[in-house]
Amino acid sequence: MGQYIVRRLLQAIPMLLLVSIILFALVNIAPGGPMSAYSRTNRMPEEKKEAIRRSFGLDKPLWVQYIVWLAGNDWMPIDSDGNGITDSYGTRKGVLRGDFGFSYKNREPVLDQILDRLPNTMYLMGITLAVVAVVAIPVGIISAVKQYSAFDITVTTLSFMGQAMPEFWLGLILILVFYVGLDNPITGNSLLPGGGMSTTGAPFSIVDRINHLILPVSMGVVGWVAWWSRFLRSSMLEVINQDYIRTARAKGQIERKVLYRHALKNALIPLITMIAIDFPYVFTGAVVVEQIFSWPGMGRLYYNSATSRDYPLLMGILILGSAVIILSNLMADIIYAYLDPRVRYD
Amino acid sequence: MALLGRSKILTILITILFVAAVLVGCAPQEAPLEQPAVDEPAAAESEDAEPAVTTSITIMIPDNPVAFNGINTDTGYEQALGELVMLSLTETDPEGNIFPELAAEIPTIENGGVILDEDTWTMTVTWKLREDVFWADGEQVTADDVIFTWDSLIAADAWIAAMDYTESIEKIDDFTFTVYYYEGYVFPYYPLQFGGEDFFVYPEHYCDAEAGFYEWNCDDQPLSSGPYILQEWVADDHLIFVRNPNYYQEGKPYIDQVIVQIVPEETVKQAMMMEGDADLHYWPAEPAAVLYKEPGNGTSYVKSPTERWVMRLIPNLYVKGDRETPHPFLSDVLVRRALRMAVDVDTIINDIFLGFGEPVWNDFFRPPFNSCDIPRPVYDLEGAAALLEEAGWTDTDGDGIRECHGCSTAEEGTVMFMEFAIYAEYGETLELTHQLIHENWKSIGVDTELQIIEGAIMWAEEEDGGTEIAGQYEMDMWDDGYPGTDPSDQIWTFYYSESDWNYGRWANEEMDMWIDEFYSLDEEYRLEVACEMAAILEQELPQILLFSTLEQHGISDRLQGVLPNANDPVTWNVADWSVTE
Repeated sequence: MGQYIVRRLLQAIPMLLLVSIILFALVNIAPGGPMSAYSRTNRMPEEKKEAIRRSFGLDKPLWVQYIVWLAGNDWMPIDSDGNGITDSYGTRKGVLRGDFGFSYKNREPVLDQILDRLPNTMYLMGITLAVVAVVAIPVGIISAVKQYSAFDITVTTLSFMGQAMPEFWLGLILILVFYVGLDNPITGNSLLPGGGMSTTGAPFSIVDRINHLILPVSMGVVGWVAWWSRFLRSSMLEVINQDYIRTARAKGQIERKVLYRHALKNALIPLITMIAIDFPYVFTGAVVVEQIFSWPGMGRLYYNSATSRDYPLLMGILILGSAVIILSNLMADIIYAYLDPRVRYD
Repeated sequence: MALLGRSKILTILITILFVAAVLVGCAPQEAPLEQPAVDEPAAAESEDAEPAVTTSITIMIPDNPVAFNGINTDTGYEQALGELVMLSLTETDPEGNIFPELAAEIPTIENGGVILDEDTWTMTVTWKLREDVFWADGEQVTADDVIFTWDSLIAADAWIAAMDYTESIEKIDDFTFTVYYYEGYVFPYYPLQFGGEDFFVYPEHYCDAEAGFYEWNCDDQPLSSGPYILQEWVADDHLIFVRNPNYYQEGKPYIDQVIVQIVPEETVKQAMMMEGDADLHYWPAEPAAVLYKEPGNGTSYVKSPTERWVMRLIPNLYVKGDRETPHPFLSDVLVRRALRMAVDVDTIINDIFLGFGEPVWNDFFRPPFNSCDIPRPVYDLEGAAALLEEAGWTDTDGDGIRECHGCSTAEEGTVMFMEFAIYAEYGETLELTHQLIHENWKSIGVDTELQIIEGAIMWAEEEDGGTEIAGQYEMDMWDDGYPGTDPSDQIWTFYYSESDWNYGRWANEEMDMWIDEFYSLDEEYRLEVACEMAAILEQELPQILLFSTLEQHGISDRLQGVLPNANDPVTWNVADWSVTE
């Protein structure tokens, strides 16, 4: 297993490199550019814009921009003042040495901005995924075991509603009901806050933090629970009709043991794939939830960097997302081996 | 047993993840900004205990500001927040009057501050600064700070209006400096070159000059000379400002704390206003503005006496992407007049913008240049159709779309069809306007393909696929306006034949001549010149102006003193704001 993990990690390096080339090309050849901010209202003369383009490195061919992004330019002579003569060395170290560059928008290091927002997103999405798991897995199991019962029909109906409901609309409804409509009977204020991670200016309070989590987590949970529970229900139904389950029952094992010891473990295997797909959201965030609930996370950072063509920031976020996707798939494969004795990587 | 072990490992992993997420989220993340040590004269005040916050207001904006300067802007809110902490030499009130802020007075020819050499056509302007203004750390604001700011802008290749006319700046004494201009008259309201919403004076002793204007600490940890001090900035979440005890106006600001909350979603902002959790909704959308106008809900509606942003149609007078071949029909002024005549501006204002707009049909619509008596154009579909007939465009095949039959600008049979683009970020009201104009034009036999494109594409550079600058469009619609009270730069930008931003490539020698004349010191003459230009623009219609959106805000009933200003951000007089409980 150890060898397998090392091998997969080594394979991930060229994979990530290839992904970075594709992403860099796509991001840069898409129409639009970061200089649009200087063209509409702040009409800067051409020579000033050229100087800014030069300072961003946008005057170089795309492949040179990629090399600088990847390996930096502190080893190559550059033309800092645009007079056609190389006069100094650059200052960029490149992604390979941990320098993701600086944002075109606010000129702050990309890594600082990502590390600033990442904990907020991990906090929100980590708890959301945990709640999804806690709710969806039992619901999926019970639905399968009690197929066509009132519970199953209710859950199925709610699942379809949850999947069909636009996330954006649900968020606004939650705000209208719990922030605008309902009041806290003791304080007279809104029952739940309408956004943010905490009450601005108020002293730290764990209760306040939890209050601010309830609505955004609820918004995220609804769609995921619907999806995961339906998936687990199908998987469970398939497993509990297998011969080995019948055999377990025939051997006289108690039903609880049959379900949880034999059926669930096998039914969970396909769900692992789904978790591996969803897990990167813990790091990359969910744009809609963060937008509606004013959550200062990765989703909004990504959205803003995309709309303003802030290429270095956008690339930083995309590469982080790619790395997490590759790692979560590796984790899923490792977990398969734990759950399914037939899967061996040695 | 082994399997049980694996399950346990999984459970432990999930638990660790959950606990880590909770711990990460629960850890207080707002690190108060480090404020510099306070010297005289603030030392005495710093010995006192920090005063308790008794009054606080919350302003809502949708985006995280980029920096505390009006030059490196992205969201449009940088200037508004800059006004809380930074001062500039001059400001403009809602009526368009320029008043000194850091300056002791506005330099003029009369008071000897401006010297114009008519022989060499050069000019010098001497500024005197107030001597009672201090930075938050107790250092005095001096001419060195102004010159330092200017030099930093030059070094960073930053741009402010008329910078290229400025030869040098010379310090005379600690509170006096002189600006030398290459040309006699730079632009009429020269005082705003070092003032208004774009120019803030930065402290020489505090800002990291080596880091440069765009990267220095003054962008995100400004040392205040204004009414407030930035205490805390959590990106994409909020900023907290507290009263500056060193502020030069005695007893001001009246409000102890200003919280700026970043709330991207318009509906949520509206809800926060209704719940009493916010005091100022910056630039509300029209449905929210309607709500704030209603009495008895704890909110009020305020707007500027003058407007700034004008929605305009920008026809490309040449074939898309071709600067040589005139457009088959947009190059014909009769067609442009017909298109304007067919736009139902009143319905757009009343039914789409819910009454929050004013008709505008000429670029000289703001005081003092709004006295040219250009009559408002009529909405007349039949008249528009007649103009198209006169121009040689008729529908002979009965499909409802006109073709060239005797027109002077296209080949026979050319169909009256064009692309019509807007930018996506404006939102629903512009999209509805887009559709209504499409219907209006279709009813007179002009067909359009509606396009909605990102602003980052529309205004990008030519090599990045930008549509405007490259002339890669036929008809566009977007809004624009100028800060301050002087339209010179905007007029030059849009209509001078050599301007890169004359997107439709309209060229008129007479207009060029009047634009040059507009750069005059004689205010009376400028008014005459403005009217000459207004007449040409009305005759030629290089752009079709439709209406102005309003400089409007929603405020809580308890917030007093807010005076929206089309010439400056709404926070221009934040020191005068107060709250009543």
